[in-house]
Amino acid sequence: MGRPQHDMTTVAAVNDQSGDSMTTPTSRRNRWLVPVAGLGAMALLAGCARNAPQDTWQPAGSNARKINNLQHWPFAIAGVVLVIVASVVVYSIFKFRDRGQAMPAQTHGKPALEIALTVLPALILIGIGIPTIRTVFQLAKTSDTQCIINVTGQQWWWEYDYPVQSGCGAGIKEPIVTSGEFVIPAGENVLLRITSRDVIHSFWIPKLNGKRDAVPGRIQTLRIEADHPGIYDGQCTEFCGLSHAYMRMDAVSLDAASFNTWTANQLKAYTAPTDAAGKAGESAFLANCSSCHQVNGILSSDGTPVIARPDLRVWSGAAPNLTNLMTRTTFAGGSFDLLTPSCRDNLRNASPSDFSAKYLQGTSPQCLDAVQLREWLRNAPAKKPMYTTGNLSTTNGKTRGMPNLGLSENTIDSIIAYLTERK
Amino acid sequence: MFTTGSKLFIGGTVLALTGTLVYGIGQNGSALGTIGMVTVTIIFAFLMGINFWVRDSNVSSMDTAGIETCSAASKPAGRSIWPLVGGFGLALLPVGLVVGKGLTWMSVIVMLIATVEWMAQSWSERASADPAYNEGVRKRIMHPLELPILGAIGLGAIIFSFSRIMLRIPKSAGPVVFGGIAAGVLLFGSLIATNRKVGRSLVAVLCSIGSVGIVGAGVASAIAGGKHVAKHELAAVTNDGDNCTDVQTEADSHSSRAIAAKSNLAATVILENGKLTALIAGENGVPTDTITIPKSLNAFIRFENHDSGKFRLRAYLGYTVLAADPTSHVNDIICTQAVGKGGTQFMIIKPIHASAAIANDKNHTPYTLTVPGVNDTAITIEVP
Repeated sequence: MGRPQHDMTTVAAVNDQSGDSMTTPTSRRNRWLVPVAGLGAMALLAGCARNAPQDTWQPAGSNARKINNLQHWPFAIAGVVLVIVASVVVYSIFKFRDRGQAMPAQTHGKPALEIALTVLPALILIGIGIPTIRTVFQLAKTSDTQCIINVTGQQWWWEYDYPVQSGCGAGIKEPIVTSGEFVIPAGENVLLRITSRDVIHSFWIPKLNGKRDAVPGRIQTLRIEADHPGIYDGQCTEFCGLSHAYMRMDAVSLDAASFNTWTANQLKAYTAPTDAAGKAGESAFLANCSSCHQVNGILSSDGTPVIARPDLRVWSGAAPNLTNLMTRTTFAGGSFDLLTPSCRDNLRNASPSDFSAKYLQGTSPQCLDAVQLREWLRNAPAKKPMYTTGNLSTTNGKTRGMPNLGLSENTIDSIIAYLTERK
Repeated sequence: MFTTGSKLFIGGTVLALTGTLVYGIGQNGSALGTIGMVTVTIIFAFLMGINFWVRDSNVSSMDTAGIETCSAASKPAGRSIWPLVGGFGLALLPVGLVVGKGLTWMSVIVMLIATVEWMAQSWSERASADPAYNEGVRKRIMHPLELPILGAIGLGAIIFSFSRIMLRIPKSAGPVVFGGIAAGVLLFGSLIATNRKVGRSLVAVLCSIGSVGIVGAGVASAIAGGKHVAKHELAAVTNDGDNCTDVQTEADSHSSRAIAAKSNLAATVILENGKLTALIAGENGVPTDTITIPKSLNAFIRFENHDSGKFRLRAYLGYTVLAADPTSHVNDIICTQAVGKGGTQFMIIKPIHASAAIANDKNHTPYTLTVPGVNDTAITIEVP
């Protein structure tokens, strides 16, 4: 039945005694000091990370810079106040600690001091409040934006559509829709009109501006601007369900000419595959994917346009448009890379002057990380948790996310071959 | 001599037995309910037997001196209304079983109330030999239960009576009547507050008269039924253009001229000088003839009529193939009510087909916003 309890207690007590007899007060202090100092150093060093794509202290546009500039002074003032208060507290603790002395004389009411301690914080708050309010109004301004993009969140991806407009580079003649990442012209003030199809999400690309909630039934505006071409990462910051952590976003900034090239490419007519593998892939796509995913211009076997109806199967009523999938660098709502790690690094580490041209190359067959895409097509919910099975009564039997389609390996090969040509 | 507790359990046993018989016969011996009722009867009978044996657990059944000197024996139990109430509830039960559920539940509730109150009264009367003390004990135990329930019932009756009266009297008379009542209550309260000579009994009498008056009027109003409310035709939201033409219906004569929605708009569509234009947030006030709306998303559109005459906004959003007959379809059309010059209307649209996807479909025509009766002007809706 195991060893008697008192035997174990005795052994432990002996060990403790032997330990205590070898431990000096100084070494006991050091035992705490080292981990605490280590943790402090780690916290400090974390701020020095070079690869910190979502660092709000490294603004890459005028709007984020306004926020960054705003926070310097309050931090400085708060730091000074902290030092003063902490110093006075520490001084008082040591100076007036109980040493058995008599109770000092108690005084009540120092009008001059009390007025000063009321007026001073009020002045500090006013000093902080004026530039804060001014910045809030500057960030809410929409009259000087040159490009509008509708941003629609749903579990767990973002859809971006470009309304017909005269702005946005050379103008948008027909609407463009994409997902996971969106492209903006560098140096242009872009107005995002943010909403949601299902639950509340929150849109945040720290290097370009602050957060904005995506609320069903509301259109919230957010202005962004990127100084230079590049990719700016973001993350949904309102817990929105199972795969909230996978709900990422990328803003891609291109130079003006490249942006116009990109928009023209997004609107080019559909090209049906001509080779056997591509045709098989198109058939597989039509059979398995097109009920939810739209590819603009695709025709069914009888020549009629195929119109996706995700509203019949998906709770949010939408699924990513895959017309130009390979012009993007991510899939599944920005959750996974289409590019292999080396191609990804090559693109992301490109200089601003080289970036636009490299991005326009899209995901080539050589750079396609087919392993990730294959895993996704094999069993999507296993790669990104989604509500696709079990009790779906609360959503009228509709799924939230892409279900496991049970595709064969041959079908997956065909679909990947077809999607590889979508650029 | 039956002890007080024994009387209670005799009553309970008879009640349960009667209920069992009534329920069992009424439900044709429905198994579960009848078994439950039989179980309750047996339990009551068992408790009755124990109580007989132990004489309410007060004193030993063999100790005659104790029986004669115990508090329960010092004073005979007072008169109680609760057996009568319980009997009324019991009599109501078979009636309820025939008439309907409401009456049945009422009888059960009445019997429950009678049982609880009778038990509490019987128990308190045996607390001591002092009737005043016993009454105090009963109040301490029962008032926290009785007063809130009675208060809620009283308030509920008054509120319900008010609602019946309001539904009965003409719409224009409502403010006058209730303004008068409110003024009367205020005046009465002020008089009581300022004049300390007013006796409590007078206040109680006046309050009672007022309450009875309101409840009486409420009952009379409920019996008389609500006033006639004309049902107006609702907004002309329809399919296939039935009411989305320039012909105006009753709905248009009651259309609101102003709407509250000024934010979160996908577009503000303006009819001016026979031409439709749209303003979109972010377009900096530049009018456009094309608006873009994401699919499967409610889009809010505000329509402003700046022209003379009454006009409505009409949205065409493609068509839906009929499930019953795949060769047929209905057009997805929605419209606002017609509104005169300077008026605004609100429309919610939710396109589900991407317009780019249907561009090659010969059956589809572009999604548009138009104004019936005003030709050659339209706003194109693009759905990415």
